[in-house]
Amino acid sequence: MIRLEVRDLHKRFGGLHVLKGVTFSVNGPELIGLIGPNGAGKTTLTNVLDGAIKPNGGTVYLNGERIDQLQPYEVARVGLGRTFQVTRLFRRMTVLENLYVPALARGGHHRASETRSKATSVLEFLTMEHLRNEYAQALSGGQQKLLELGRLLMLDPDVVILDEPFAGVHPRLMEIIYEYIRRVNGDGKAIIIISHQMDSIFSLSQRLLVLDYGNLIADGPPDEVKRDPAVIEAYLGTEADESSGDASSGAVSSDNAPVGNASSGGVPPSNASPDEETAAS
Amino acid sequence: MPARHVPNAAGVLVVAFLAVFPFVYTAADYDYIMHICITAFFYAILASSWSMLSGYAGQFSFGHMGFMGIGAYTTGLFCHYLYLSPEPTRLCIEYPIGDLYLVVVNPIGVTSTTLTQDCLRQALAAWDGSVAVTPMPVWLGIVLGTLMGGVFGLLIGLLVLRLRAAYLALFTLGFAEILRATISAEIEITRGQAGLELPHLFENGVTILGQTYDKTDKIPSYYAMFLLLLLCLGILTWLSRSKFGLCVRALREDQDAAAALGVNIIRYKILVFVITTMMAAAAGAVQAHYVGIITPNNLFLLQMSLVVAMAVIGGIENFAAAAVGAIIIEFALELLRNSFEIGGVTIDMTIWRLVFFGILLMLTLRFSRNGLIAPLIDHFTRGHVARETVAARTAADRAGASR
Ligand SMILES: Nc1ncnc2c1ncn2[C@@H]1O[C@H](COP(=O)(O)OP(=O)(O)OP(=O)(O)O)[C@@H](O)[C@H]1O
Ligand SMILES: [Mg+2]
Repeated sequence: MIRLEVRDLHKRFGGLHVLKGVTFSVNGPELIGLIGPNGAGKTTLTNVLDGAIKPNGGTVYLNGERIDQLQPYEVARVGLGRTFQVTRLFRRMTVLENLYVPALARGGHHRASETRSKATSVLEFLTMEHLRNEYAQALSGGQQKLLELGRLLMLDPDVVILDEPFAGVHPRLMEIIYEYIRRVNGDGKAIIIISHQMDSIFSLSQRLLVLDYGNLIADGPPDEVKRDPAVIEAYLGTEADESSGDASSGAVSSDNAPVGNASSGGVPPSNASPDEETAAS
Repeated sequence: MPARHVPNAAGVLVVAFLAVFPFVYTAADYDYIMHICITAFFYAILASSWSMLSGYAGQFSFGHMGFMGIGAYTTGLFCHYLYLSPEPTRLCIEYPIGDLYLVVVNPIGVTSTTLTQDCLRQALAAWDGSVAVTPMPVWLGIVLGTLMGGVFGLLIGLLVLRLRAAYLALFTLGFAEILRATISAEIEITRGQAGLELPHLFENGVTILGQTYDKTDKIPSYYAMFLLLLLCLGILTWLSRSKFGLCVRALREDQDAAAALGVNIIRYKILVFVITTMMAAAAGAVQAHYVGIITPNNLFLLQMSLVVAMAVIGGIENFAAAAVGAIIIEFALELLRNSFEIGGVTIDMTIWRLVFFGILLMLTLRFSRNGLIAPLIDHFTRGHVARETVAARTAADRAGASR
């Protein structure tokens, strides 16, 4: 059973507090969307989970093993894989070689013929068979995104984090990526998708995490989160006011009005401030 | 024969040719040509191992000649200062080993040997020929030099783990310069610019296939260096085709992405340093015994740039191309020494050849980033790829048009 446990994760860059105690867990093959405004800390969270940067506090356990102090390659071997927001292929290596790296790097025994047939089936799935001997740098942007997903199939981790898989992708490729997500999820893997494309996120995910200024301000089913005042405030800025005060992280109440009583006139500061303080705490 | 086998076939032919060359070449300049061959093989080892380190693994080290020097000086000092004697000299520091004594000769620097003699020579003078001391075996010095290169490679590899690109280049350059300066400064021990003399590769001659060669014959040295080159190329080929080659290239392309996919980047970085520096050290040790003397000048930056230029002109991302490039350039640089006249103006090629060489290097970098030989190899081995893609593209276009 897959279990990812993130507890009270903190990350500071100098004076900048980017992750302010993020706590959540993934149980089993969940399909999770992770959203939040630009600069919210989504990529930083991914980097901490994958071992690329060390947290300033908190712990991460994957399937019972503590991974927050491990090197990225060790985290990958324990079973967490990720893609990059800006595609990072091995550009002057062929498509096939890109796929072989994660398959062979893990160590242990692997039969060359098995690796080859696995890579072939991955390429078939991505509709990229004819490109297998091309250098990765010769691929189009969308094909590069697909190849990055293909590398993850070869790594075959339990938890997959996709950082902006839909950015700059044509609808036809989008279909392949949807199919990819459903297939990996269907194989019993947990997936966390980071995206700004709300349509895709809401239609795909069973559960939504919302990160805002390093705080996890919501965690729940998409339609509940959609109506969460704190989320609305984070996305729509100052339009929502004091009514957002009662929403603390994790607790999403669906009876809240979709939009708080947006006061168009002058807001009496004496009224608003106590509630806002509870929200900030 | 399919096109992709052409480079391999050409390689086999070249190796076969070089293997018999000393026996088929008979011109008057025989010794000179043999000397160029040996030097060319020496540079080919350096250029190809450097191409593995920088071209494959992306670790642009400018300390490669430093490791070559470590190999040369390790065996140099080993053979210069250590002897085995059946009798204690009672003048030198000595350690009993079985019924022999390991004699450590005291360094006397570059002062006139007629005035000051080292302890062993004083002892020999006293014994007056009644005791024979044995020098250390050359092969053991070469092995130790190779290992020492690996030890330093490991240290430097660890130190540069977190350095990338330009910083790594500067660090390794600094290392090589410090090494050179240290060897120059430690005149007492290394004899500095005066040079450290070494016994010849085959000091007492050698018999191969019933034929006896003395130490002035080039043939044994030719084959020694040639076999070392083949050994290095063999190891590099094996490495490049294994998981190692795949992982170090991934490391070069994007070490964070490689790590995220499970590549133990620390291990591969250190491994590639240790392996390639050992090759450089081995080449340095063998070359030092062949030439018979080493000076810190061998470690000058100029020498390093020569190796870099050979690898770049051959093709830095293909060690075989780098080796071929090194051999061709060494020959070109030597054979173009002959000055010539154009319309009454004498072109002094001993100086101008380097200018032409520099221009060739610049043109290569500008117009053929992966060298002049590697693209030729690629033409045969990867020529089908473009055709495949074009075929697939056309098929897709046709399917699209008919829809
Ligand atoms: N290496 C770093 N050094 C300093 N600050 C950083 C570093 N990485 C990220 N930050 C800062 O951390 C904050 C969060 O960045 P992050 O990339 O995690 O945001 P994000 O949620 O992924 O945003 P986006 O949706 O734009 O991708 C930003 O303010 C960013 O400037
Ligand atoms: Mg991001």
